[in-house]
Parts: sequence; C-alpha cells; structure tokens
Amino acid sequence: MIAIGAGIAALTGAGAGIGIGLATSKAVEGIARQPEASGKITSALILGCALAEATAIYGLVIGLMIIIML
Amino acid sequence: MGGISEEISQNLQYMNHAITIGPLTIPQGVYTTWGIMVFLVLVSIWLTRGMEVVPKKKRQVLVETGVGTLYNMLYGILGEHGKRYIPYLLTVMIYLGVANVIGLFGFTPPTKDLNVTLGLALMSIVLVQYASIRQRGVGGWLKSFSQPVAIVTPLNVLELAIKPLSLCMRLFGNVLGAFIIMELVKIVVPVVFPLACSMYFDIFDGLLQAYVFVFLTSLYIQEAIE
Repeated sequence: MIAIGAGIAALTGAGAGIGIGLATSKAVEGIARQPEASGKITSALILGCALAEATAIYGLVIGLMIIIML
Repeated sequence: MGGISEEISQNLQYMNHAITIGPLTIPQGVYTTWGIMVFLVLVSIWLTRGMEVVPKKKRQVLVETGVGTLYNMLYGILGEHGKRYIPYLLTVMIYLGVANVIGLFGFTPPTKDLNVTLGLALMSIVLVQYASIRQRGVGGWLKSFSQPVAIVTPLNVLELAIKPLSLCMRLFGNVLGAFIIMELVKIVVPVVFPLACSMYFDIFDGLLQAYVFVFLTSLYIQEAIE
C-alpha cells in the first residue's frame, strides 16, 4: 500500500513534463520568429522550466515522506 | 528496495553527523554553513584588498564585472525602491551557489538539510513582509491582504505560509532529488556515466536553484513594494 501511495505521488511528474513541453514549444516558436531574441528567450525558458519542475519535486518530496514516515 | 529506502532515511537524519561539544549538539548543516561562511569571508577579504579607483589588477576587474552583472540583473527586477534589498539577495545567492556545488568537493551540501532551507525561506518571507510594511505603512500592509477584491483575503493570508513552504521545498527537493538520483546511478553504472550526471545535477541544477530562489524572493519583494 505504501509503495502504491508513493507511486501515485510520483504521477506529479506528468504535470511537470507537460508544462516543460509547452514552454519549450512556445520558446522554439518564439526563436523561429525572432532569432535575434534567442538569448533572452533561452534564459526565460530555463527559469520557467525550473519553476515547472518544482511540481515534480513536490511529488518527489511527498513520495519520500510517504515512504519514510509511514 | 529495503536497502535503498533504509539508506535514504539514514541520509535524511540531520543529526547524523552531528558534533557534540559539552551540552551543545551541532548538526552537520550548521558547521558546514560555518565553513562556507569562513571561506566566503576570506575570499571576499582577499578580493577586496587593495582596491583602486582605476583598477590595474585583473581580480578587481573580474569582481567588479561579476558583482555588476548580478546587481544589474536584480536591479532590473526590483527597481529604484527595492535596491536596498539587493545586497542581502546577492549574499543569499552566493551562499546557495557555493552550498549547492560543495558536494563536488566531498562535503555534504547543507541545503540537503530541510532545516537550512526552511530557515532561508523564513528569512525571505520576513524580508518581504518588512519591505511591504516599510513601503506602505502598517495600515497599507494590512489593507494589501484584501487586494484586489475583499473575497481573496483568506487566500492572501494563506500565501504567507505557502510562499516560504514552496521556496523551502523546491530547494530541498531539488538538492535531495539530485543526491538520490546520483546514488542510484552510482549503483547501476559506477564509472564515467556519473560524471555526466554530476555535471547536470551538481553544477547546472545547483546554480540554477540558487538563482531561482533569489529570483522568486525578489519577485515577491517587487510585488510587495510596487
């Protein structure tokens, strides 16, 4: 049961994956339109990815807490 | 399965490598932080010694460029009113940057301890509220909770707890997650491959998280003093 709970917590990774995918597709579109702005777009993309990753990290923390505390 | 979860919970015990001096027990996160502080102070003294108005030495030019770049980046977010908070934010950024990559030199990163990141997040949120009170006065600060409409007041009060919790969990989870993945990778492929992973997890992700932490804090401050 505990392992199943931790597995469900790990599903948060799906949300982070979708978020990073969307951000990257928009960034590629933006660079295709304005190649000269690629530097700014890339730095904004990396920051956005780090923020989107946070949801997956919350899933990791919750999964660890389930495994260790229970 | 049992071995790994055992090892992870072993590593989560923050009192694991504590030093006991008389009645005091000093956790690992604290004395590693002291070490980083001493290191940073010594480096700062060495870098700022013998500064000149017109720099002739290479190290002064390097320091001025680096500090200037970081300062301008935060100044772009915070603006004229918020520039008094920049030194604190830069200090936190440099500390976190060193703390996250210290694992490369064989130390345990202090940010792997939940209490360290929680302390940093609490400092950040106290600074944000202080900035808000200083800018708007106590009345304006209280009123800002019911902005833009009165019905969101509970959410705004809740945000007082959510913001530091999210800051703290993001940093802690990233460092810990990187640590666990590195341990697993080392079990599966002991040679060469961990090096590539370490480049990403220790250097890139560590520095990125230091930047994200400070960036979010400065966004909160900017929101508080707008």
